[in-house]
Amino acid sequence: MPAWLAHAPLGSGKYFLHAPFLTGACIAIPWLGAGLIAIFRKQARSLGSLAALAPVIASAILLWEAPRHASLYEALMLLFSCLTLGALCLLPRRDCTNATVSGILLLLGATLLAYSTDNLILLLAAWILSETPFMLAAWWGARKRGPWIALLLSSLALTFAIGLIAFRTGTSSIAALQGQSPGGIAVYLLLIVAVIFRKGIYPAQAWVAEEAAAGPAIPAALLLNGHFGALLVAKLIVPLFPRTDQLFPVLSYLAIFTALYAAIRALGENSPRRLLALLALSQSAFILSGLESRTAEGIAGAVVHWFVVSVTTVGLFGILRLLEVRFGENLTASRHLGLAAHAPRLAVSFAILGLALVGLPGTLGFCSQDLLIHGALTSHPLTGLLLPIATAMNAVSIFRLFTRLFLGKRHTGFTAQADALPRERWVLAAGVLFVVLGGLFPNAIVAQRSAGGAGIKNGADALHALSQRKPRTDAARSHILFMPAPGLTDYSPHANIILRGGAAW
Amino acid sequence: MSGAQTILVFVVLAPGAVFAVLGLLWLAGWAPGERVLSRLTGLTFFACTSGVAVLAWRLLAPGGVPAVVVTFGNWFAIGRYHFPLVLMVDRLSLAFLALTAVLSGLIGQFSATYLHQEPGFLRFFLLLHLFAFGSLLAFASGSFDLLAAGWEIVGITSVLLIAFFQLRPAPVENGLRVFGIYRACDIGLFVAIFALHHWAGTASFQRGFPALRGTHGTLIGLLLLLAAAGKAAQVPFSGWLPRAMEGPTPSSAIFYGAISIHAGAYLLLRAQPLLARSGLDSGLVILLGAATAIHGTLAGRASADTKTSLAYATLSQVGIVFIEIGLGWKWLAVAHILGNAMVRTMQYLRAPSMLHDYHQMHSAIGSELAPTGKQIEELLPQRVQLWLYRWAFDRGHLDTMLDRWIIRPLLQLSAYLAKTERSGTSGMLPQNISPIPAQGRAEQGGH
Repeated sequence: MPAWLAHAPLGSGKYFLHAPFLTGACIAIPWLGAGLIAIFRKQARSLGSLAALAPVIASAILLWEAPRHASLYEALMLLFSCLTLGALCLLPRRDCTNATVSGILLLLGATLLAYSTDNLILLLAAWILSETPFMLAAWWGARKRGPWIALLLSSLALTFAIGLIAFRTGTSSIAALQGQSPGGIAVYLLLIVAVIFRKGIYPAQAWVAEEAAAGPAIPAALLLNGHFGALLVAKLIVPLFPRTDQLFPVLSYLAIFTALYAAIRALGENSPRRLLALLALSQSAFILSGLESRTAEGIAGAVVHWFVVSVTTVGLFGILRLLEVRFGENLTASRHLGLAAHAPRLAVSFAILGLALVGLPGTLGFCSQDLLIHGALTSHPLTGLLLPIATAMNAVSIFRLFTRLFLGKRHTGFTAQADALPRERWVLAAGVLFVVLGGLFPNAIVAQRSAGGAGIKNGADALHALSQRKPRTDAARSHILFMPAPGLTDYSPHANIILRGGAAW
Repeated sequence: MSGAQTILVFVVLAPGAVFAVLGLLWLAGWAPGERVLSRLTGLTFFACTSGVAVLAWRLLAPGGVPAVVVTFGNWFAIGRYHFPLVLMVDRLSLAFLALTAVLSGLIGQFSATYLHQEPGFLRFFLLLHLFAFGSLLAFASGSFDLLAAGWEIVGITSVLLIAFFQLRPAPVENGLRVFGIYRACDIGLFVAIFALHHWAGTASFQRGFPALRGTHGTLIGLLLLLAAAGKAAQVPFSGWLPRAMEGPTPSSAIFYGAISIHAGAYLLLRAQPLLARSGLDSGLVILLGAATAIHGTLAGRASADTKTSLAYATLSQVGIVFIEIGLGWKWLAVAHILGNAMVRTMQYLRAPSMLHDYHQMHSAIGSELAPTGKQIEELLPQRVQLWLYRWAFDRGHLDTMLDRWIIRPLLQLSAYLAKTERSGTSGMLPQNISPIPAQGRAEQGGH
């Protein structure tokens, strides 16, 4: 059994036997598919879809058999496999080239490897492989220096960090390094730098919008929704560095600031692709702040939000690309285009996915944001207040984009099929159903992901327990802000205090 | 589950279920005819009204229960934090449930004729059902968590109905403005709910309002007041109300004459025990109400169209309702809301045929109606009258202030950040490489 493929299996014997084989299949089949497409140069969409379907089935079996409290990465594998399959179905014919499909499959395999591996070297390899199609000019004709530099710097930082860990400890197993702070503060800072560049956290945020604007829209959405930065936090930073709690909030503050920064940037942006990228950046920055909040609500909210942001932003970028292909690539949010008259189903899907992204009630986004904001406010009462403000601004921006693209005076002269094709309808309906049914019955997802995120929470708790230092500044402020109300002697922040007054109706 | 509990669940869920079924059928490619739609709407709200009548009997009859409560457990729960799924109808919510059920049915029947052959007929009825579901959910919720969910649904349907005539840019832009103000004020509701969870351990008012005192109580009261003021278009958020008149008249009637505009007052009535403990909160509620009442009456007098005049007349009354809540006159406020909602709905629905009515009256009496008499502002000096007119004509300069102090600085900041970002990234590039293709370059940074 290749030990590097196993992700610390803790469940039944059956799971223990199946996991390495299925995980290997999840990674190998997309790469094999990418190779076949590159060689034969035929049937790119069909081959690609088959190669993406295999990981969907394999990761679904993995998730089914995984123990509930250790199923986070299996769930993420299933999510990303489904996203890739959906993205391949959404790809317009114009974009469905051999290079694009093989690049997407390479990204899929690399992302699944990153999610599943317990080995630092393989994590680094997956990290670099996932960036490769976006960095090679020959692949997608990339001529963008900003994303290129950001991705390169993130890879270099991670390479140095993992090199230092391997050099100092002589091991590359993440499980073996837990709680040891391998490499000390230098490695820790390098990992933070890798997260900042890969995730597009301020001050390295500019490349995200640039990549979305100039690069291939749907693959770029997949790259962003691998959430490698958040993965690094959940997989390495929290479990490996339990004694750096005084530095860790820096990342959280930067994430919250990024959420606000991107929200403000989006208010005045008129390029639909950039606007969507900024919204995705703002909302995905919430994930980091939730992971760092070290509260059960915040971490569960971050994990659920990971799902919501991934599904909605891939759907939104997909719809935008379909609109570009059908109505011309000069879409703008500076005037009303009235596309709903031609593409009503795309309009409805865009509205639902967009509003789910910013937390409309009745969608899963409402639950994830509710949890995230509670977690962030509990952890950082003052800075956490910025999250609801950023969400409000994002809601205005997405609604503005919706109204400008779809409402207003209709344009004439479109004779081609403008609304969603059947294959596109199925994909968009699946995305909409996920966010809506998830919103109506959130406990099915929240409880599962809460259990899955327990590993992260346990790491965070260990971090908290091991820290014997004085409370950090914001926590101290929190204590002052949440001191007992006069007259309440038996105070506990979460105690169910006696209910008085009221009942007057 | 007892009969009353089943009825409560039915009353809340029925419009939501109709919305979901019709929406899914439309997505599948089937659109019902106007007759089917109007009959289905009538049937739904007749059933809801009957259900509310049964609930009223259960609550108000001699020996009736103080409240009917249905607990479904938690919508979701993490550790000690939970989102309780509790429906509750007591005497306060009964009044609002009845108002919603009756007026939604009435508006549905009126709109079947009013919007006949309108391209957005189905869309209007879908949104009407969604709005009724959101309102019923907000009024029948047993906790602020669930109330917030209904509150948000009411907000989004309100905005979508303002932008109902989607081919014209003005309604769409006004819808966007209203959406922005709603979202900004709703921050108060969400942070208040968080604070309730944190300080009281619950945001449920099923067994009464959490007994918070001192700074905590005052702070939560202020946050709830922010949310209520936004929804009820109180000063300084009144600027959105005339913009909301772009929607179809029936939706204006039910939203801004009856239900939505009074939802803020409902929130304050729910939080009244908390407000009563804080002099600052009560004082601010009275102050806002008084300012809004004065603003409404002045701006209404300078309004040139019927719907806007009616909107400001409603606003003045809502301002007075706020004063009553601030003074602790809860039942007077409820009675005032019910009366105001009914009268305004009738006035809105008659507004499109007002000229026709006048002509009929003139024909009947054989001459024009006599002037209504002297206006009170004529007692003021001429200069003050002119100043007041300018102030009222620009609707208290509230939109101007919002534009100048909030929106424009935000857009300027956004443009500055975009410029800084571009100069930062272009510095990394060789001269011959552009960071974005020509097609996208034209789109950047413009407003």
